[in-house]
Amino acid sequence: MDRSPTPKLNRRDFMKATIYAIGGLIGVTLAIPAVAYIVGPALTKVTQNWIKLGAIDKIEENTPTLFKATITDQTGWINSQEEISVYVLTEDGQTYTALSNVCTHLGCHVRWNPDDSEFACPCHNGVFAKDGSVISGPPPRPLDHFQTKVENGFLYILRG
Amino acid sequence: MLIRLGNWLDERFDWRKIWAAIFLRKVPHVNWWYTLGSATLFVAVMQGITGILLTLYYVPTPDHAYDSVVYITTQLPGGWFIRGLHHWGASALVVLVVLHLLRVFYFGAYKYPREATWLTGVALFLVVVGFGFTGYLLPWDQKAYWATTVGTRIAGVVPLLGPLILRIMRGGDELTAVTLARFFGVHIWVLPACLAALILVHLYLVVRIGISAVPEKGEKS
Repeated sequence: MDRSPTPKLNRRDFMKATIYAIGGLIGVTLAIPAVAYIVGPALTKVTQNWIKLGAIDKIEENTPTLFKATITDQTGWINSQEEISVYVLTEDGQTYTALSNVCTHLGCHVRWNPDDSEFACPCHNGVFAKDGSVISGPPPRPLDHFQTKVENGFLYILRG
Repeated sequence: MLIRLGNWLDERFDWRKIWAAIFLRKVPHVNWWYTLGSATLFVAVMQGITGILLTLYYVPTPDHAYDSVVYITTQLPGGWFIRGLHHWGASALVVLVVLHLLRVFYFGAYKYPREATWLTGVALFLVVVGFGFTGYLLPWDQKAYWATTVGTRIAGVVPLLGPLILRIMRGGDELTAVTLARFFGVHIWVLPACLAALILVHLYLVVRIGISAVPEKGEKS
């Protein structure tokens, strides 16, 4: 390759550059859809919708009342049914606080303990007050709240 | 920095010598027909990549197979592209393998000392056909179901052993969930293992012995 006195692009370097260019082009056209394909399900937005929990006259004042609701979700190609549990608290019979039963530490389900008047998580001893605030243990933040509304005597929560 | 890293690795792996042995070996003056082997290898690698991607979502059971394929094709971003590549790549691979085989045959490139290269090539051809046959069932649609019904029945007409072969292929008398699961297992584990091993030997022989020159008129062999 030293035979050429001019520093022009020689045949070998031209072929090399062409091979790298075509290879790179093929790589990119494959890599972009592949990445989109892999992360796709992680990027789909969760749709918000109101879920009917139950009649408000079932809610006792000043103590969290457990409601269960079955919701249908489209997960991948499967229509799956999931049961969610929500604790509803009211102090005046007018405004309602709906608390998720999912512990903010690592996602176990908390349970209302009427004797101690607190929510307890069985996994790592996280303890929450009846309004959802952390009393003790590892949870980093209070229990999640759902937005609520009342229609025709029924309580709804906004999920999503 | 990169050069120093390259040198550091070369001291330990000796990869430059390996690279030179594979890519900088002397080859005879050949023509475009000699690119069919590389083309086959390229499509085979593409099939591997797209196939691995498809297994991220595909589920090989009768109640999920078809729905998961529809999900891949219609719901996932780029899913139609990945599956399309795998689908058309399958046909392309068979075509390329056959053309490559014909090239070697008509140029007499299977002769001494390349008999082992030829034989591993024939085995690779059979593996590719096996890929096509097992992969065809996986979408679990009408075409897949009936094609495999017919295909396994054809295997069943072998004298004496036929009925046993059919039962082994289907995993029973009928085409069921067992059939789908074993076709999937063969398609993504057994055949890829065979393919990888055979390609390794095939390519080793190509590098070790070198490729044949274009035969000339009046040449004695």
